Amino acid sequence: MVAVGLVVAAVLVLAAGAGQAELRRAGRFDVQRALTAGYLSLGKEKGYQLALSMPNAQVVIFSAVRTERLQDERFSGRYSVYVTRNRGSLERGVVRARFGSLGRVSLRLRPSGPTRRSDPRSGCEGGLLTARRGRFVGHLSFRGEGNYFHVASPKGNGYIAHSPRLRCEQGKAEERPPRSLRAYAAPNFVFSDEQSIALLYASTHSHGRYVGISAMHREESRPGADVQLKIVEPRRGMVTGHGAFLDGPPGTLLTSRPGAHPATATLAPPAPFYGEAAYSEEADAWTGNLGVKIAGLSLPLSGPDFHARLCVVNPLRDKDGCDFFKTEPAFIERPARPGWMLR
Amino acid sequence: MRMRQAAAAVLALVALACIPASAGAVAEGSGSPPMQWLDIDLAGSNGYSIHVSVNPRRHLILQVSKEGVELEYMTRDVLPDADRVKAKLVGFGTVSVRFHRRGAVRHPSLPGCEGKRPTVQPGVVRGTIKFVGEREYTQVKVREAEAAIEEPKSWLCRYAAKFEPRPGQSDWISKFSTEEEGFYFLARKYRPGVIEGGEVIYLAETGETFKRTAGRPPLTIFRDVSVPASASTFRDAHPERLTLSPPPPFIGTGTLTRTAESVFAWGGDLAVQFPGIDPIPLAGPGLGSDYCLRETGCIRQVEYQR
Repeated sequence: MVAVGLVVAAVLVLAAGAGQAELRRAGRFDVQRALTAGYLSLGKEKGYQLALSMPNAQVVIFSAVRTERLQDERFSGRYSVYVTRNRGSLERGVVRARFGSLGRVSLRLRPSGPTRRSDPRSGCEGGLLTARRGRFVGHLSFRGEGNYFHVASPKGNGYIAHSPRLRCEQGKAEERPPRSLRAYAAPNFVFSDEQSIALLYASTHSHGRYVGISAMHREESRPGADVQLKIVEPRRGMVTGHGAFLDGPPGTLLTSRPGAHPATATLAPPAPFYGEAAYSEEADAWTGNLGVKIAGLSLPLSGPDFHARLCVVNPLRDKDGCDFFKTEPAFIERPARPGWMLR
Repeated sequence: MRMRQAAAAVLALVALACIPASAGAVAEGSGSPPMQWLDIDLAGSNGYSIHVSVNPRRHLILQVSKEGVELEYMTRDVLPDADRVKAKLVGFGTVSVRFHRRGAVRHPSLPGCEGKRPTVQPGVVRGTIKFVGEREYTQVKVREAEAAIEEPKSWLCRYAAKFEPRPGQSDWISKFSTEEEGFYFLARKYRPGVIEGGEVIYLAETGETFKRTAGRPPLTIFRDVSVPASASTFRDAHPERLTLSPPPPFIGTGTLTRTAESVFAWGGDLAVQFPGIDPIPLAGPGLGSDYCLRETGCIRQVEYQR
C-alpha cells in the first residue's frame, strides 16, 4: 500500500508544490513570497476520496482518488484531477471557480476555533505561519464524467493557511510554482522506473490530449509488472488529468530477452484496463485492442498514433536498469528528472 | 519471511553450539562453571566417523562424517556435571556415560592459537553410547571409549574441533546461492589453483528441529556437505543463464534462466542425497536466488509465491 500513500502524496504534493511562492535571489538567501493555500476534504463518494485543494490563491483543484487492494497483496488505484483558476480571493477566505460543465464552487470559509500559529520551517525566518480551520459554506456541485461520482454540498472540514514572505537559506525555500494549469494536472508517476530491467512505454499526443502508459518489471521483484497511465487534456477553461496505476499480476508484461532482435513485448494489464497490445521492434508498431475505462471514459491505448519504446536490460551489464532509457518523444508530460539522459 | 525465520533459527542454534562457555554460564545463572568440553571419538559402521562432544552449556552434539558429508545431531545433556553425560537422541539412541581420568594433563599447541594452549585431560568414558542413523546408514554401540575433557582458552582454539579452512571470500569469480526454510545451497567458482580438487565448491546445508516432547529436550539435526568439482559443472557462459551439475552426493541439474516476465527462475531437478533420508530438492519454481559475477555484479531474485 506504499503506492496508495504515494498517490495521495502525489496529489497533495501537487497542491503543495504548486502553492509555493516565487523565489528571488538575494545574496546567500532566497526570498519566498507570501503564500495562501487551502484545502477542503469532501469525504468518500462511490469509492473515491474527494477533495478540493487550493495550492495557492490562483488555482483550484478538484481531485478524486480511489485505491483498492487486490489479491496476493497487490493493489491498484485511479485518480482524476480537475484544475482551474480561482476567481475568488483566497486571502479573504473565498473560493469561486467553474469546472466547465462538470461543476462549480462558490465557497467561503467560516472559521471555527482559534487561529493556529507556527514557526516557519527550519532554515527560513520572517513571521509566523497561520492556519484557520473551519467549514466552507456556500455552493459546491461536481459531477464526474459519466456520473462516476457526484457531490452536491461542501460538507467536510477545511482550512486556509497563510505563510508570510520568508527569508530562507539558499535551497531551503519552496520551489517556484508552475504557471500553467497543465502542470498541476500531470502529477508525478507513482512508480519509479529506476531499477527496472524491463520497461515498455507508449504514448500519444494529439489535439492537446496526452495519453501515456508505462509498464515495468523491477529487478529482483516477483512475477508481474507495475503499470501506470496518465492522461492530460485541456477542457474549456480548465485542465483535467486522469491516471491509473496497478501492481499487475504475472502475465501483465512479457518481453523478449536482452539482446534479442527484433525485440517484442506484450502488455495485458487487468482492470481498469482491458484487452492487450503488442510491441514489435521490427515493424516499429504498437498494435492490439488495449484500452482503459476510467472516469467515465473508454480510451484505446494502442494503435498507429502511439509512439512505443521498449527497454530490456541485463542487470549484470546495465546496473542501473532502464533508468537511462529515454523513451518519450519531446512532447512528454513527464517532469524532468535529474540524470535523465541517453547513454 | 519464512526463509528469514529459518535462517535465524539455524544461526541461533549454531550460536548455541559455539557460544563461549563464560557467556553460557552467565546465561544459565549457575555461577561460573569451568569452560569444559567432553569429547569422544568413535568409529561407526559403513566407514563413518562419529564424534560426540558436550559443550559447557551442556549441549550434546553427535557428529557423523564421511567424505565431505557431515551430519550433526544436537540435544541437551540433562546432567550438570562435566564428567557425566546423560542424553537421549530421540529415535536415534542414547548417551549415558561417566568420564574417568587416565593419564597426565596435556597442553597441546594449536596452529594460530599461540599463547592459548588448551588443557586436555585424557581418559575414558564408561556407560552406554548407542546410535543408529536413519535407515541404519551407520550405527555404533559401545560401553567404553577413549575420551578427553578439554578446557580451551578460546572457543576458536579447540583441540578436538576440526576446523577446515575454506578458500577466502576474495578468491571466487562467480557464485550462486539459494535458500528456503530448512536448506541453503551455495556454489562458488574459483580461479584455477585456488582450491584442491577442482575450481568449484558446492555446499549444501539443511537443518530441522524436533520440538521438545513430554520431558524430552528438543533434537536438532544439521546436515551439510561440501565437495569440490571441475569448472565444467558450473556453466555460466551466458550472462543470464547458469547451469549447475554438481557431483555426488548431489544429483540432477539446476538452471537459472530469465523468463519472459524478467523473473530469474531457478529450476531443474537438482537435489542433495544425505545418507539415510530421501533426496532434498534444491531447485524449484519460486525460490529466491543470488547469482554474482565478481567483476560485474549480481542478479538477485526474491522468493515468490508459486
